Amino acid sequence: MKLRLIAVLAFAAFLTNAVLAHGDKKHVLGTLEKVNADSVVVKTKAGKSVEVKLAPSTSYISSDGKAAKASDLAVGERVVIHATPNGESLSADEIKFSPPGPATPSPSGGKPKQ
Amino acid sequence: MGGLVSDRRLTYKRNMKRGNLFFLIVVIAAALGIAAAASVMHNGLSARAKPTHIEAMLAHSARRMAIPSGAQGTHNPVPASSENMRNARLHFADHCATCHANDGSGDTMIGQGLYPKPPDLRLQGTQKLSDGELFWIIENGVRFTGMPAFGGHHGTQEDSWKLVHFIRHLPQLTAEERAEMERYNPKGPEDREEEQEEEDFLRGAPSQPKAEPAHPRR
Repeated sequence: MKLRLIAVLAFAAFLTNAVLAHGDKKHVLGTLEKVNADSVVVKTKAGKSVEVKLAPSTSYISSDGKAAKASDLAVGERVVIHATPNGESLSADEIKFSPPGPATPSPSGGKPKQ
Repeated sequence: MGGLVSDRRLTYKRNMKRGNLFFLIVVIAAALGIAAAASVMHNGLSARAKPTHIEAMLAHSARRMAIPSGAQGTHNPVPASSENMRNARLHFADHCATCHANDGSGDTMIGQGLYPKPPDLRLQGTQKLSDGELFWIIENGVRFTGMPAFGGHHGTQEDSWKLVHFIRHLPQLTAEERAEMERYNPKGPEDREEEQEEEDFLRGAPSQPKAEPAHPRR
């Protein structure tokens, strides 16, 4: 019984890590599993599939920091989505994405000096 | 004799009219007072409420009247060069976005908790203000709102004029500009850690072990 409780708590913590709460916003980290015209399905690090709706106001940023379009998204890409909960669903405010593949060097070191 | 009577009647009617008007004003004022008291008693002085249309209208009129007429016509002496625009953008990200959001929408946790809520700077309510009016508001703030005065103790007037250019640019803000601004937003250690985690994930780097938080999350 104790072991089950610990397992449930650990799983909950793992899921929380994958879909991070940020005030009213949610951060979804994972790999694109499906790309539809009006939504994407992300497979999170925890292995859960999360659907996020796309909106006309959604902004898309590629790995080099450049603005992109919804049509640039492809299955298999890594994404970090900042989304707003809208009832049961999530609506994407911003999608940062990078191509699948080996690790790339860090472009910056956090907040640059002015 | 007949003339005297009709004069008296006229005076009486006039006094009655004045009395009625005075009574009407007192009744309206009392009704407004009761409505305001009932609202306060019902909602307390919660900042979560949204100002009513009348409150918003009065506040906008008061704001316009509070700006000296000399300030309204002042022209922006700072050129809108790309360097000035970038300085203003990063200045805004560091100093203003906590309440106004990087895109000027006011959709932030702090902004939505204020009373009144910060205006959407991209909309006509702000965009139709003159450069001089925007400058005056940045420098002097707006009483009874969350907008502080940035003049005098912080930065220079030149910085405020640059911000005026940036406010004009907000409706055309690009995703790239917003992404750059995010790196300049004030953040606590936990937010920085989260941002780093997201960056690492996008690069395909292995997750770093999480450090113990400096203080417990609420």
